[in-house]
Amino acid sequence: MEKALRKSDAEYTEIRIESVTSSWVDFRGEELDSIGSSRTLGGIVRALVKGGWGYVIFNDLSDLETRVREACGSARLVGKGESTLAEVEPVVDEIRASFEKDFRDVPLSEKKSVIEEYNKIILGHHEKIETSNVSYTDSFRKVWYGNSEGAYIEDERPDVGVRISATAREGDNVQRGFESIAGGGGFQIIEGLQEKAEVTARRAVDLLSAPPVTGGKYPVIINPRLAGVFAHEAFGHLSESDFVYENERMRELMVLGKRLGPDILNIVDDGTIRGLRGTHKYDDEGVRTGKNYLIKEGILVGRLHSRETAAKMGEQPTGNARAIGYQYQPIVRMTNTYIDRAEATLEDMIKDVKLGLYALDMVGGQTSMEMFTFSAAYGYMVRYGRIAELVRDVVLTGNVFETLMNIDMIGDTVEWPPAGGGCGKGGQSPLPVGLGGPYVRIQNVVVGGRQG
Amino acid sequence: MKKAEGAQASLGQSESTDVSFENDKLKSVRSSQSTAMGVRIIVDGRIGSSHTTDIDDVDGVVARALEAAEFGSPARFRFPDIQEGPDVRVYDDRVPPVTKEEMVHIGEEMMTLVKEYNPDILLSAGVSKGISYCQFANSAGIGHTTEDTTFTVWINGQLIRGTDILWAGHGFGWKKREIDHVGIAKKAIELFRMAEDTARIKSGDMPVIFTPEGVNVLVLALRLGFNGKNVFLGSSPLAGKLGETIADERFSIADNPLLDYASGSSKYDGEGVPHQVTPLIEGGVVKNFLYDLDTAGRAGTQTTGNGVGCDPTNLVIKEADTPYEAMVKDTKEGLLVHNVLGLGQGNPMSGEFSVNVELGYKIESGEVVGRVKDVMLAGNTYDALKNIAAVGDKAEWAGGSLLTPPIQVDRLSVIAK
Repeated sequence: MEKALRKSDAEYTEIRIESVTSSWVDFRGEELDSIGSSRTLGGIVRALVKGGWGYVIFNDLSDLETRVREACGSARLVGKGESTLAEVEPVVDEIRASFEKDFRDVPLSEKKSVIEEYNKIILGHHEKIETSNVSYTDSFRKVWYGNSEGAYIEDERPDVGVRISATAREGDNVQRGFESIAGGGGFQIIEGLQEKAEVTARRAVDLLSAPPVTGGKYPVIINPRLAGVFAHEAFGHLSESDFVYENERMRELMVLGKRLGPDILNIVDDGTIRGLRGTHKYDDEGVRTGKNYLIKEGILVGRLHSRETAAKMGEQPTGNARAIGYQYQPIVRMTNTYIDRAEATLEDMIKDVKLGLYALDMVGGQTSMEMFTFSAAYGYMVRYGRIAELVRDVVLTGNVFETLMNIDMIGDTVEWPPAGGGCGKGGQSPLPVGLGGPYVRIQNVVVGGRQG
Repeated sequence: MKKAEGAQASLGQSESTDVSFENDKLKSVRSSQSTAMGVRIIVDGRIGSSHTTDIDDVDGVVARALEAAEFGSPARFRFPDIQEGPDVRVYDDRVPPVTKEEMVHIGEEMMTLVKEYNPDILLSAGVSKGISYCQFANSAGIGHTTEDTTFTVWINGQLIRGTDILWAGHGFGWKKREIDHVGIAKKAIELFRMAEDTARIKSGDMPVIFTPEGVNVLVLALRLGFNGKNVFLGSSPLAGKLGETIADERFSIADNPLLDYASGSSKYDGEGVPHQVTPLIEGGVVKNFLYDLDTAGRAGTQTTGNGVGCDPTNLVIKEADTPYEAMVKDTKEGLLVHNVLGLGQGNPMSGEFSVNVELGYKIESGEVVGRVKDVMLAGNTYDALKNIAAVGDKAEWAGGSLLTPPIQVDRLSVIAK
């Protein structure tokens, strides 16, 4: 790698090589639908010349020097300005994964048995359960990273997860219960989930008789799992500096020091928290990750950066340049993003709501920077200070310039439910991220649905 | 391969070049070369699969597939023998010689046009070309090589006025070099033009026109519902409904992998089965579901060439008789929906959708009067298809694999701030 890097005539060059071994077991209904394993090996060269980037992606590792030359050629074609990258101390380090139970040592037959058990629990739960989908995936990624400044990092990144889905049916009414458990660690993360399988099946059946939520504006209380998606979509993406650094008007809208929420609101992105899916020691530019306050006491205080966005904005690099795999260049991504705790309890939030919605768990979320949606797995109406009937199809929408200001209570404990899935941006999906938070209450949230 | 009863292998190599513009300027050029080999093996009636990027490691990939097959899913089919696939064009020899300079020029031309309309719009754009080769063989004697090309052009703009952020853009990709990039820029400009004013809207039920791009909101449930695996397992609401009327008689949709140069087109599916056109709904009546070999085997029917996975290839919705201009003109008060947030993040299999209208416009007295914001749209595809007010007379590509005219639904629920 070093030899190839020396052949570069670009202002900055890096090479990242990845080897990934992965396996999967997928049950659909009573039968195993798919089982297998894969190996990939590939790399990417990035070169920077006069502010323009050239990338070369390959599976054939045999001629790195030529790849480097190609990347330089592309960069030269593009660059017409100035190259700026924030200064970082080049790191030489080796990170080895540590597990309680290395999934690479678990035979495929055992993986299959564990999943088969969860699947049987779902199918046997109730006569209205129509079918199921329980799938397991694991991947062990080894990364070799080197750049022209002398950095060299070897990193091992395991990821393992189970997705559990139950489908209940009554005539034409089809409802789904869904849970996903994942983590950047060992096989033990997905063991012992029998109760989760039960809960998933039960939810699918319960949702059959739940009415769809009536659309309108409500005070909404969200649980920690949903609060994670909320923080991520409502605000997290806006902190990604590649949306801001060369965008004058966005810079004005997102000027540091601006008030975006109430005093009790603190939002953090932290790539160092042990065991979470967005955690790693260095990002994909060799920059150390850290705990970055984005909003402190309601005020915008920070952003997430790559070396380039940090330099162009005159701010410190934060270690948030991540690539989902060797086929892509790193772009600014979140790691583990959460609303930090305050003082309230769930009981406090519920008891003074005359008519509102308690929304739980997440199906997903999406943002267009200003507007965002986040979808709950299910919800309960809140009537006169009490949790009332179950409702389904709960999708909430917000506007970043209003919704954060409408947060009026934040819970006293941050939870990190170990969810799977990931974030999508720039075609790089799903990138493992940590989604967590406390209970949060937000006033005046628009909830989609039929007319009341 | 000695222990196997049947096997299939595919070996693919592809190259691509992507030119990207960000924040009004040329940002990067990316060249990618990739190789992949995949194997599915049936041993003792069970299937295992494996894939690798190392096309020299045949022994390794076979060994891993055999290991998986030991515990694999029961195979309800045999790998098919040779059948000649139909003629469909997927390779355009004008794609490989396209130079990076040419691609840069296409991007710059599009950006210039949009800037002429409004210099405050911040632009990103991309031009990509690709070529791939795939060799496929199975133990029943099939062996073929396919070559295909891809070409994609897109432009996206962001306009910030005060705290109002507007994103609009357009793009298209298929297997042919011939893409009207000027037309793409003009479509993007039109979306901005209609949004020059902001319109207010009140919550209520109202008619909604979906532009071809917006029709994706209705089609997602159909992609899932017509998937033969979902039908067989009972999770599709369409299970048991062959021959039933589920939509207005003006609504017809088919899976068509034989459209020359379309993104999802090819001669064979991933199991070597020749592709075919499969009507899904014709005149409102459910005609067929989509199957692969294994699912067809389990369901006791024939594969439709949608292997592996029973997913659609290119979906084509038939044109009817209402010009788009007439749809708008005849609307006293309604919504025009182009792009949404949150699609699929709920229970799409049931047909339900509840989405934020990210790019949509208000129609008042037959005219588009401005963009709406902070608006949710809710409904159910299967109800909507029964309540179609009009189907357009001109189909357009919405992304690479949906070809559809605009569609107006009689009433859907709109919740405004």
